[in-house]
Amino acid sequence: MAEALLKLENVWKTYKLGEIDLSVLKGINLEIMPGSFVTIMGPSGSGKSTLMYLLGLLDVASQGKVYLQGQDTSNFSEDRLAEVRGKKIGFIFQQFNLLQNLTALENVMLPMIFQGISEEKRKQKAKQLLESVNLAQRINHKPSEMSGGEQQRIAIARSLVNDPEILIADEPTGNLDSSTGKTVMEILTKLHREQKKTIVVVTHDPNIAHYSQNIIHIQDGQIKSNHFEDRKVLWEQENNNVKNV
Amino acid sequence: MFKIDINNLKEYFKIAFKTITTRRVRSWLTTIGIVIGVFLIVSLLSLSQGLKNAVLHQLNMMGKDLIIIMPGDITNVSSLMAGQKLTEEDMKIIKQTEGVDKVVSMDYTSVVMRYDNEKKTVLLYGADWRNGLDIFKNDVGWSINQGRWPVPQKNEIIVGSIVASETFPGMKIGTETIIKGRKFIIVGILNSVGSKQDDSMVGIDLNIFKSLTGERTGAREAMAKLKPGFSVNAVADKLKSNLNENRKRQIGQKESDSSYTVLTSEKIGSIVGNVMGLIQAVIIGFASIAIVVGGIGIMNTMYTSVRERTKEIGIMKAIGAKNRTIVTIFLIESGIFGMLGGIGGTLLGLIFAKAIEMYFQIHPLFYLKADVSPGLILFSITFSFVIGCVSGYFPARVASKMKPVDALRYE
Repeated sequence: MAEALLKLENVWKTYKLGEIDLSVLKGINLEIMPGSFVTIMGPSGSGKSTLMYLLGLLDVASQGKVYLQGQDTSNFSEDRLAEVRGKKIGFIFQQFNLLQNLTALENVMLPMIFQGISEEKRKQKAKQLLESVNLAQRINHKPSEMSGGEQQRIAIARSLVNDPEILIADEPTGNLDSSTGKTVMEILTKLHREQKKTIVVVTHDPNIAHYSQNIIHIQDGQIKSNHFEDRKVLWEQENNNVKNV
Repeated sequence: MFKIDINNLKEYFKIAFKTITTRRVRSWLTTIGIVIGVFLIVSLLSLSQGLKNAVLHQLNMMGKDLIIIMPGDITNVSSLMAGQKLTEEDMKIIKQTEGVDKVVSMDYTSVVMRYDNEKKTVLLYGADWRNGLDIFKNDVGWSINQGRWPVPQKNEIIVGSIVASETFPGMKIGTETIIKGRKFIIVGILNSVGSKQDDSMVGIDLNIFKSLTGERTGAREAMAKLKPGFSVNAVADKLKSNLNENRKRQIGQKESDSSYTVLTSEKIGSIVGNVMGLIQAVIIGFASIAIVVGGIGIMNTMYTSVRERTKEIGIMKAIGAKNRTIVTIFLIESGIFGMLGGIGGTLLGLIFAKAIEMYFQIHPLFYLKADVSPGLILFSITFSFVIGCVSGYFPARVASKMKPVDALRYE
């Protein structure tokens, strides 16, 4: 069996709130295989965002281990983590998280600057990616001059510039209307299908789950269920049961 | 110390510059703090240096082997104001001091002069033409612009350049003027010697001066020219002690109640140098405080900026920016504030100094030329850049230490 791209081993995340210890994640065990399309679902406060930050190496576990391609990341320095994020992980956020004073092109080029890639290559790659998300005509516009859908497509282009192993998307359609959201999800699906990108989407929207093969349902900081494609129907039944209650 | 990311400086400069231009008003206000300090340094230092140069230039026109003797102590204003004079005996002692070649005595007072039906107050110099004209020509730096030098003992006068151009515009050689009821013929107009006082004087023979003013004895000032081969400082010291001893013997007083001021061009130069040096040190001190205050302004702006851009910092870290990258970007930003302030202050300072210079060209109280050295400009800009970077140090550190997850969640 192939090695997991990301592996969480008994991961806890605990916050100290004065005297009280609040555990947001309680002993998570999870493997994300290369080339998979995983959806992490759960209600607000379930810990799914915290899980996403840990998977994206944006945060460190209080307990347990996070492995990236078999390497234990718990000993990584802040700079090493930044380097790994820049090279191997692409992020797509609900709020798009573009730099407002940079143009679309500059936003997409930014991660390549941190990797020390030459200006010529940066421009070429960024333009090519913006073209692939149908934004060739808008490369010199600033985010404030663009629609939500356009901004999210810039963010997707930005997430891809360093050819990451994995794309992590946090509610990527949360700020978009349904048809724009659909376009964004289709782009992600295409990336998965055609470029074999590993994709992790965190959402509370059941419709998004349909695009993926693997749905992880998280509740109260624990994985409640981990469904694969063939068992998706079962999950839907569960979901309906929850709704009916 | 934290590390700085030097690999992509050009790109970080671009990012920092974009941020600065995005928040224009705040950037201007932040920069002004530095501008004021640098403006003070550049304008006041270049003007005071110009003033020093002007005085030294005048001193250079005065011969190095010339000693000026005045009664009273130059460091004691009341004794100078008392109107003491050098007596005939003093003059004799000066003449007899070893190393003195020639002595010329001078006196001056202000008188009303009538020329072409106009009456104006001028400074009348009485100088011993017979003994001293050579000294004026060769050592003080006087030269004739129009006409000729006066003949001793005759009712002939020479005038400074300002008298002929401003006091009595259109004054001509060979015309008559009346001072205290006596007629004089203007025989010469001098070239400017570079000081307003000298250029505004009207010179007559000392004997005529004495009969005209009724001040028959003594003189306010004497100039002694050295024989070749004597040290000007040694002779000056000897002159002073001889004069003081004689005065003590006469009055019977013990210590320096009576004193003389003996000046050489070197001594005047060092006095001027010391005074101007002190003034310049004070200027640098105050202006540096202004720049440091400007630096605190930069620090304040940078802290605000770090807080406002918390999310931006989180985004940059998420997409691969290391701590040193964040530090570098913020340090560049504060450094740019400092440097822009330095450049702005330097330009304003130069404009101001040149304006003052032009004012003095139109109203020649003295001949002031702003002295702007490249070193001063370089110092000002470098200093303000450094202040900017230092001010950005702590805010940049705060920014770099942010955890990406906290920064991303910040709203």
